[in-house]
Amino acid sequence: MKRLLFPGALVASIVLVALAAPILGLPDPVRQDVSNRLAPYLPGSPLGRDEFGRDVLSRIIWGARASLGVAFTSALIAGIVGTLLGLIAGWFRGTVEFISVRIADVVLCFPPILLALLVVTLLGPGASTLILVLSILYLPGFVRVTYAEVLSAGRQDYVEAVRALGAPTPRILLRTVLPNIAGPVLVQFSLAVAAAVVVESGLSFLGLGVVPPTPSWGLMIRGARATMEQAPLYLLYPCLALTLTILSMNLLCDALRDAVDRKGGARAPRLRAVDRILPGLFPARDPAPLLEVQALTVEIATPSGPIRPVEDVAFTVRAGETLAIVGESGSGKSITATAVMGLLPPVAQVVAGIARFEGRDLLDLPEEERRKLRGGAIAMVFQDPMSSLNPVHRVGDQVAEAIRAHREVSAAAASQEAVDLLKRVGIADPERRARAYPHELSGGMRQRVMIAMAIANRPRLLIADEPTTALDVTVQAGILDLLAQLRRETGMGVILITHSLGVVAETAEEVVVMYAAQVVERGTVAEVFARPLHPYTRALLAAVPEGEAEPEGIPGVVPRPDSWPPGCRFAPRCSFATAACERPPLLEQAGERLVRCIRWKELA
Amino acid sequence: MLYVAKRLAVSLLLIWVVATVVFMTLHMVPGDPAEVLLSTGGTSPDPYAVAELREKLGLDRPLLVQYAEFLERLTRFDLGNSLVDDYPVAEEIALRLPRTLELILAGTLIAVVIALPTATYAALHAGGAFDRAASATAAVLQALPVFVLGTLLILLLAQWLRWMPAGGYVPLAQDPGRHFLLLLLPAVAVAKGLAATVFRMARASVLDQLSRDHVRTARAKGLTQGRVMRRHVVRNAMIPVTTVLGLQMGTLLGGTVLVEYVFNWPGLSTPLLRAVEGRDYPMVVGIVLVVSGLFLLINLVMDLLYAVLDPRISRS
Repeated sequence: MKRLLFPGALVASIVLVALAAPILGLPDPVRQDVSNRLAPYLPGSPLGRDEFGRDVLSRIIWGARASLGVAFTSALIAGIVGTLLGLIAGWFRGTVEFISVRIADVVLCFPPILLALLVVTLLGPGASTLILVLSILYLPGFVRVTYAEVLSAGRQDYVEAVRALGAPTPRILLRTVLPNIAGPVLVQFSLAVAAAVVVESGLSFLGLGVVPPTPSWGLMIRGARATMEQAPLYLLYPCLALTLTILSMNLLCDALRDAVDRKGGARAPRLRAVDRILPGLFPARDPAPLLEVQALTVEIATPSGPIRPVEDVAFTVRAGETLAIVGESGSGKSITATAVMGLLPPVAQVVAGIARFEGRDLLDLPEEERRKLRGGAIAMVFQDPMSSLNPVHRVGDQVAEAIRAHREVSAAAASQEAVDLLKRVGIADPERRARAYPHELSGGMRQRVMIAMAIANRPRLLIADEPTTALDVTVQAGILDLLAQLRRETGMGVILITHSLGVVAETAEEVVVMYAAQVVERGTVAEVFARPLHPYTRALLAAVPEGEAEPEGIPGVVPRPDSWPPGCRFAPRCSFATAACERPPLLEQAGERLVRCIRWKELA
Repeated sequence: MLYVAKRLAVSLLLIWVVATVVFMTLHMVPGDPAEVLLSTGGTSPDPYAVAELREKLGLDRPLLVQYAEFLERLTRFDLGNSLVDDYPVAEEIALRLPRTLELILAGTLIAVVIALPTATYAALHAGGAFDRAASATAAVLQALPVFVLGTLLILLLAQWLRWMPAGGYVPLAQDPGRHFLLLLLPAVAVAKGLAATVFRMARASVLDQLSRDHVRTARAKGLTQGRVMRRHVVRNAMIPVTTVLGLQMGTLLGGTVLVEYVFNWPGLSTPLLRAVEGRDYPMVVGIVLVVSGLFLLINLVMDLLYAVLDPRISRS
């Protein structure tokens, strides 16, 4: 709304000045005074006199009247007629719909100025011709907008309700539908006025719009062109007035459109990376793990302050082993993986922690080094294979591209290799499929393509972020089997992010349970499943009677990152919570395991 | 292929609709068209002249006959003769259309070459100083009417600085250097509106693509920033931009009328304006038909390009 203020005030003041022209005590804008031709300054004429000795300031203000008068009148006519046509077309459908919408569309087949010139030829120049032409030109915009809005509004419950009450049609249209489409129509109106000012001034400039001696900005520019050598300022004044008017109208249109859309809030500013905390030493069972993440913390700047969707997360992945990260939506598991890959969106920043991959801290590497690792030694498979594949490139090309990003091979060799990879991930008829576009493949096949892309450069670590969530239940098992088979064959380490404990039990050795940005329990799958220590893990397990199912039966949802409880974050949903849970629990060592619960010993 | 055929058929249909509308406008005017064409400022025209014009335009025959004849002549590209000098309209257009086309092409080229890289860079650094400066410039350019820009360019570069000629035309064969020098300012003026619109659209489109999953995939593959931008961001971002480009051509074609007038570029604008002033109806109709046809043709090309850019269109 704030954005509307400035351009709105500007347009309002221009309109006010134009309206007030008769009472401002200006000299007569059409009275000629040849003796003062092109006088630069005269008492009562601060901007001087034009080529016929007419007062320039007065002509500019009266010119605004002419331009805006024509523009507003024609936009109003187009608006009223167009909106009515659109309402009728959208409501009655059928023949009426066809005729009004198609007739309006015909206007769009002509370049606007040419249609205007055609009508001017027939009717001769003048303000009334202009108003007619401009009304015709902007009619389709209103018809389309209203029509589309009525079509979608007609399906709304409130309209159905009024209709069911037996209200007469005109009444429904005017009282119920119209107020609800007022926003888009208003935007269209402001667009039409702005565009009409442009066309009016252009035609007047050509001498085919407003008829002299009526002052109009287009005519003034036309007149001042002849004398621009002697008096260039007289050219600049109307140019400035015209441009400023259109600019403020355009700004108002943009602001209106944004206000009506109410989509896409302001982008949060980038977060400054604060000093990184020195990570504490973590006991490791294996002297050389593949990936070792410690104290990983991610911050996102929001208008109401920074939030931490990932906080102090630590885990280790060894070669040939699958580590599962489980938790409900909003627990921070995907952001953890994206942070490790270095693919966080600009608003999110790693503010602390290390991610040591084969001895090097990923979070500390220059971007070029990270790029070489991405898709090379570390690959990732995403949740939704439809949106994750580029819709405009053939899948074979997309796989080949991954190969050529890391290895110097010819295009032909890469294509051949891509076909081999497609075959390897179980796609039948790989030569033909390689030439297909993503939308021509099934969901399961698309995910196989994603996996082919990920394993193209024999990664040593594969991160799979909910690789089966977006797929049909029937193909989920196939994808998981493929991942397991590839892991066995290549000896790569796998991080599997999932909210399905069934998947964890089948595929992983180690499991990290995350809740509200934190690790709440960590250990081997066998131990955690046999004897869960954290109440959240218990609740998750209890919610899975058999096979695969989404965890349910835990009351409530994961709290949002900006409203975490001060103590244990799970306490509000925990059936074992006591007063002591209001202090934040630490991640404690529990034998081979880690658990974040002050009561774990009592509950065990 | 089916898509191309369908789209071609639609274009032909639209050309027929445009021709019919143009034919109808003369007859939709209240009163006798010949009288309307000859009247100026409320005075009644000479009845003898009216009768002569009626005969010349064939207005004395039944409407359907006139319509059929009009369409039949159109298929032979016969646009009738000028009311002023009896010169064939089609020949006048054939002489001048190439010059207008050259201006349009040069303007489009300048607009696209400037707007696309600027928009991509601005979107990549959204919110930065460059982005804000470029967006503000685009907003001002959009608000600056094309004839105002043209006039101001002449005032600044030709009158004050004397760097450029104020306008005119020299055939390419006669003096190529001078030809392109004279083309430059009008082409820039034609380009400005398109450049501003393409900039805004492309910037929004690139920003949208940058947040897409498939761009994350591309980066996850380890592609270089340049390749991610070229193949996965800009390539996809161009799809909505082509649609806008096609629709904007209508404004651009109208803008060339003004620009040709401002810079004395002897394209279609000169005979058109002369004809509008002199109520030379066949000439106006001829030029409106040709330019509207051109507009439809450009949109057809844009739609086909769209189908090439977006495989989801033609194959589904």
